[in-house]
Formats: sequence, C-alpha cells, structure tokens
Amino acid sequence: MKRFITTIILVALFLAGPFLAESAFKLPAPEKIVLKNGITVYYLKNADYPLISFQMLIRGAGYAFEPGTVEGIASLTAELMQKGTPKMDADAIAEAVDFMGASLDISAGAESATISAGSLSEHFPKLVEIAADCLINPLFKEEEFAKEQSKRVDNIKAIKDNPGAAVRPYFFKAYFGAHPLGHLASGTESTLKKMTVADVRDFYKKYYRPERAIAGVVGNIEKAKLIEILEQTLGKWSNPGPAAPLSTIPALPKPKGQKLILVDKPDASQAYWILGAPGYPIGDKITPQAAVMNTLFGGRFTSWLSTELRIKRGLTYGASSNFQTWSLGGLFMANSYTKNDKIGEMLDIVLDLLKKARKDGFAAEEVESSRNYLQGQFPQRLETNASKAGTYAMLAFYNLGFDYYDKYLAKVQAVSQSEAKDAATKLLPETDFVLVVVGKAADIKKQLEKYGTWTAKKITDPDF
Amino acid sequence: MQKKLFGFIAALIICAAFLPAAFRKEDIKVHKLDNGLKILLLEDHNIPQVALYTYFRVGSRNERPGLTGVSHFIEHMMFNGTKKIGPGEFDRKMEFSGGANNAFTGTDMTGYTDWFPPAALEVMIEMEADRIQGLLLEPQVFESERGVIASERRMGVENNNDSILSENVRATAIMAHPYHWGVIGWMSDILSWKRDEVMAYYRTFYAPNNAVLIIVGDFESGKALELIQKYYAAIPAGPPPPAVLTVEPPQMGPKQVFIRKEAQTPSFNMVYHAPNCQSPDFYPLSILDMVLLNGESSRLYKRLVRDEQLALNVYGGMNETIDPMLFTIYAKPRPGVDLNRLEAVIEEELGKIQKEGITEKEYQKAQNMIRSDFYFGLQTNSGKAGQLGRAEILFGSYEKLFTQMDNYAAVKREQIQEAANKYLTENNKTVGKLIPEGGVR
Repeated sequence: MKRFITTIILVALFLAGPFLAESAFKLPAPEKIVLKNGITVYYLKNADYPLISFQMLIRGAGYAFEPGTVEGIASLTAELMQKGTPKMDADAIAEAVDFMGASLDISAGAESATISAGSLSEHFPKLVEIAADCLINPLFKEEEFAKEQSKRVDNIKAIKDNPGAAVRPYFFKAYFGAHPLGHLASGTESTLKKMTVADVRDFYKKYYRPERAIAGVVGNIEKAKLIEILEQTLGKWSNPGPAAPLSTIPALPKPKGQKLILVDKPDASQAYWILGAPGYPIGDKITPQAAVMNTLFGGRFTSWLSTELRIKRGLTYGASSNFQTWSLGGLFMANSYTKNDKIGEMLDIVLDLLKKARKDGFAAEEVESSRNYLQGQFPQRLETNASKAGTYAMLAFYNLGFDYYDKYLAKVQAVSQSEAKDAATKLLPETDFVLVVVGKAADIKKQLEKYGTWTAKKITDPDF
Repeated sequence: MQKKLFGFIAALIICAAFLPAAFRKEDIKVHKLDNGLKILLLEDHNIPQVALYTYFRVGSRNERPGLTGVSHFIEHMMFNGTKKIGPGEFDRKMEFSGGANNAFTGTDMTGYTDWFPPAALEVMIEMEADRIQGLLLEPQVFESERGVIASERRMGVENNNDSILSENVRATAIMAHPYHWGVIGWMSDILSWKRDEVMAYYRTFYAPNNAVLIIVGDFESGKALELIQKYYAAIPAGPPPPAVLTVEPPQMGPKQVFIRKEAQTPSFNMVYHAPNCQSPDFYPLSILDMVLLNGESSRLYKRLVRDEQLALNVYGGMNETIDPMLFTIYAKPRPGVDLNRLEAVIEEELGKIQKEGITEKEYQKAQNMIRSDFYFGLQTNSGKAGQLGRAEILFGSYEKLFTQMDNYAAVKREQIQEAANKYLTENNKTVGKLIPEGGVR
C-alpha cells in the first residue's frame, strides 16, 4: 500500500546526484587486495555492526554473451551453481546457508554474473567457503537441471497471468529483437525447452573465469584475516586455460518511426504500457544532465509524468521513467497503466509531455529542485555494507574510478537549465520509439488506432 | 505485510557482546508533549541524512463497512493540501529541500516516512505538524485521488490472481472482525466514500495523542526538540479514538473458497486463526514460521518446490497485529498440479510437527535467522526508525524492542509443537483454490 512505487525513488544508482555543499559525505576509498590467482578484491572495514557483505562480478557470464538459441542459459547456469558440488548437494548448501541466517545468491545480469553473500561476521568464513565451492566446483546434475528448467517454463506462465509483470519482457523483445541485450534472463518457453545440461556446462566453462572476477567486501573483518579466508577459498580457483575473447556486442538498435505492439489479455481491467527509446552508455558524460532531466520528467513523485497522470487526473497509481545503462549504450523507458477506457487519454498526455520537454525544457526552479533532490537523496544509497561492496565492484568493473561519484556529483551540482533542456531534446523520443501495451484488446483497440498500425499478440501464445 | 523484523530481536540475548554501539536503548531520547505526542530521538551521524517517521494508531481495523479503505485513502490525501500548504506543495517543498518520502497503511497503523538532508529538518517538521490537523480534502482533489486508489486496487488485486484469492480467503476466514477486509478496501466503497465521512474519520484518528514521532540520523536532539515544540505544541489533543470491540468468534469447522477464473496458473492459500503479537504464543509460532516457510531449506519449500515440484514458491507465516489475525501459507502451484494433493502434502507436513515437533537443529537455525536479519535491518536510519515505530504501536512501547529478545530466547523447543497443535487445527482452517478456467484441479 505504498504511496508510490519504490522504483520511483530508487532511480538507477548511476543517476544519483551530488551532495549538498554542507554534507561532506563521500564514498570511502577501499583498499585493493589482489589474490594470488589474480582476483581483485576491494575492501573496507566497518566495525559498526557484526556483519560482512560480499559482492563479486564476473565479466562475460551475463545473458548478453549467451547464444540466442539458448536464451536464458546464463541465468539458469547461475542458479544451478548453487545446486550441488562434490562436497555438498543442493539441500546441503541451502541448509548450511540458512542455518547461519546468511544469504547467498548467484544471478546473471546483462554483462556479468553477480555473486552476493552476506552474514554475521562469525559465519563469514564458512559462507565464503560455500560460495567458492559453488563457483569453482559446480556439478550441474541432470536432475537439478530438469527441475529448474521446468520450473522456469511454468514461471513464465505465472508472469503472463500478471499484466504488470508481463509488459516488461514483451517490451524488451519488441525493442531489441534478436539483439543480445534483449535476451530475457528468464529465457523463453521455446529456448528453455531446447536447452540441455550440456549447454549449461559449456556456458560455465567458457564464461566463469577467475581473471574476469572483481569483488567488493565491506564489514567487520580485519584485512589480514580477510586475505587469509579468501586465499583459502576463492584463491583456489585456477584458470582453466586460455580464454576465448568475449564476443563483441553489436550496436544497440535505434528505432526509426514507431513500433507498436498490442498484447491481448482478455481479463485485464487495466492496460499497462512501456515506451522506450535509445539512452546512453554507462559513465557517459551526459549522465549528470540526464539525471537532472529525468528526475523532472519521470524520476520522482512530483515529476511531470506523475503530476499529469496521477496527481492531477487520478488516471493511475504510478507513472515513471528511467534510464538503463550498459557498456555500449542504454535505454530510456517510460511506463504507467490505467483502466481500459482511459488508455488513449493517457498516451496522448505522455506524447505531449515528451514533446513539451524537448521543446521548452524545464523552469529554472525545477532544475534547482532536481539538483537538490539528487544531492539530498544520495547518501542513503551507500548506507549499508552491501551497497558499498556492490558499488566498489561495479565502479571497478566499468573502470570508472572510486572518485567517480565525487566528480560526478560536482557536475550534477552545475547542471544548468539549458543543459537539462538539451538532455531532454537529445534523449526523449518524439517520433522514434517502441510502445508496447498489454491489456484487453476488445476494450482498448479503438483508442489506440490513431497512433498507427499495431502488431497484435495474444498473452496465451508462447514466448513474448 | 511487514512481518519479520520483530523476530530478529531474539538475537540480542544470544550475542549481546556484539550489540552495535549505534543502537542502544540508553541513546534514545524520549519525550512526551502535553498534547500526548510521543517523541523518540536517536542521533546517528553516520551519513548526512535524517529519517523522520510518524506512525499513527489507525488502519483498516478501525474502519467499518461502507468506509473500508478509508485509512489508506487518508494516507494519500495527507499529501494533497492543508489550509497552509496547498495540494502537492508538501512534495514540492520537500523535494526542493532534497527530501523524499513514502507512506504506508496497514491493518493497525499508518506510517509517514521522510528521508532528507539535515538542513531540511525544520521544513519537514513544520509540514508534518501541519498535516496532522489542517487537511482540506478539496472536492476536486478528492475525486482525482479516488481514481488513483481505484487504479491501485486494479493493479494490486484485480489484475493479480494471487491477491484475488487471498482477499477472498481472508474475508472467509475472518467473519466479524474488521480484518475481514483488506487495507485497500472494497471497490464499491472506494467509489462511494463521502467527503464528510472521510473528514470525520481523519479528525478522530489524526491527533497528537494518537501518534508517535521518531527521528533517527544526523541531527541534534536539542534543536529537534525545540522545533517539535514550536510546531506541534499548539495542536490540541483529541478525545481517545473509539476502541475496536469486535472479537472474532471461534471458527467451528474448516472453510473452503473456490475461484474459477481465466488464468494460466492456479493459486493456493491455507490459513489458520492465530494469536495477536502480544500473546505469548506469538513467539513459538514465529519460530515455526521460520522452520516451515523461510529459506530453501525450510520444510514446506523443500517438500513442495524442491522435492515434489508441486509449487513454484511458498511463503507466508505470522502477522504482527494488535488483534488476532492469521497464520498464512501461500503457495504458487505449478500449472496442472492437483490442488487437493498440494493441500494434503501441506497438512502432512504440519501433522509431522504436531506429532514430533521441530529438531534442535531447526530450532537453532530459526534463532540464527532471526538474529542475522535483525542486524541487517539495523544498518540504516530507516531500519531503526521503522523498528522503533512498530514496537511503539504494535507492542505498546519502543522499549519492547529491547526486551523482546527475552521472549524469543525463552521459547522452549516443545512449545513450538504445542503451538502447532493449538492453532494449526482442522477446525481452525480455511483453504482457498483459484482454478484456471478450463478446469485444472
């Protein structure tokens, strides 16, 4: 029953802004540790709580590097790594982690796999031992593969029962087509059914390599002790021979004109949509201007989208926009939902707002408010051990430097009214975009006709 | 439902040696204004940020038929204009000052949660004090916000089969008590709330004597107290709000709910009447919750998801509520699974606990989870403020946060078995099944 969806506040970490001048808060610089096998670890001691958080990124083990024929294999591989080693079977791993009240999660993002772990300090050595065992010695048993594969197929059906959840995978497919950044971590019904456990083993062998691993550790532990623990565990991960270079990800698609997709879900009482267009790559110099601009357009509660769609007209509970960024490029996405008979009215307003932001930009007071907001909300993003550990790993992964935020924050502080407008003109779409609507076609089709020709899909058809 | 945090308190006794210096009862400064407003202040200068939380003793349990969902509606309207601060101004001023906020409504309490840089302390205190008494409920804004709530209900309930089922199951299990309806309220009530009734409800429950104000973070207590005095002291106390008198009668036999609806996947619920959070039985049942439902090694997850592959997920457990509510078991069944079989397997697992209890290892595991989660929850200003507020409203005093560990540590292993036998009984049970149209059973 939250007043508005949390994602509105938690705009991507990269959109975060500077601190107020009075606030001396900075991301503390971590110490660098290099294990004998080459794994780099960034470490910060925090003795305030008896806790330690760990996060490791493995370059290349994400879904953007998987072959399209086995879309979803990166995420399935990550999951199955926690399902058995020669020392411990899946139940033993779950039991050991739960017994400590700890957390261990291996997952696949676009460009990397992520291993996250956290526990009370006293359990940390055991937790790292288990994590390293999963990372170095996964068995990928046929039986576990079959279980997870069929579970994932069913899970896609569950997603399709919820239009608010289903709109996102439909959008990614519509926007990216066969481009690897449009791979769904979950896979699709068709690709999941085609996979074998041999595909999982191949993916693991090719992409999980110590020399591509970068980690962050923050918590109540001395450096010497940490090195000792890590050398005995992750340090035993040996390089399996020369690595094939990572494939090059092609340039991101740029929509020309409008691509419109309508997915029919006959029992939906509300229509859900995402509109997307090209964004910018991670670390790009436009980042501060884009952050100030998007905060105003759709990034917070009083943003234009939220004001016009929710606050003034009561059309929806939530409306927002954000940028997603990768090494090679990014994506702008706006989204909301409303009852079936209002979708045309809502989309008209959204398209008008995009036009208006590009043409007129924002008032000076709005731009000042956006800068203040980004500054004021920044410190809590780095409040916990886990968020610091994750940030160290991420900054190192993208080679941005640990003073990235200090510099970047100063730039946000200086974003002018005209720069905010320029960012809107450059990044907000007017005529070239992809728009996907999931809803009851019988009730909404007529309202959508004026926007152009729609490709029709049914929610019960396989895949997205 | 925020359900687990209090469980974590058990930890304190087990590892008192590790008690974080940043969170001690002695560091909390407690004040009460003449108008009854209770104030908890905890300085923590770790990051340049302040969490200001205001919790009111009001939620859907204080509502009545025709006005269901009104507590939540008022939560929304609290941002929509007072005599002093126009509609939308609260958010605009706050964001201009670098702040953000959220708010939530539950069955038993309504919370307003602000996070802002230290320099915004005065403007935030001023605006929070103002909206305790000055709401306008302007007709046009009222109607617009009604639409927002209707959309929220469509999103949260009507387009979500699991929620449709759990709303039905709860309303079937709970017959008389206001926990019968969900916090969002019935759609027909949402569409017909009257301004004067909403205003009367607001005036009844929004008074300083019905609230607790908590500030945690980078501020100076003396200064904060001065500002609170300045803006809150003149607000008059209200008469004590009416007590909730309805007591749910005992259930006298199992109940069942079936829903048939277009869907690709079924939904499944099984619930039992359970005690409130101040009952001594709350603690053994919370430990049982961990053993049955928390983590991949928990009994129901392992059996239903891992071993027999009957479900994609299983979750639920105890609710922390002022009046007795439900122990819930929600499962997301695999498509095509026999829901009677799913029910039988859950019953079999509950039966094992009733007959044999839990193992020493499971007992220890539950205690470890409780302890670890407690510390992870305490890392942030918001985590601390939230726990203090909930202890104050649900458990009667923030101090309970620091003594509840005794209650957890005092639970003997056999009490968990006793509690399972007392509450998880056939006559106390309601089962719900959402069957995809076309007839998967």
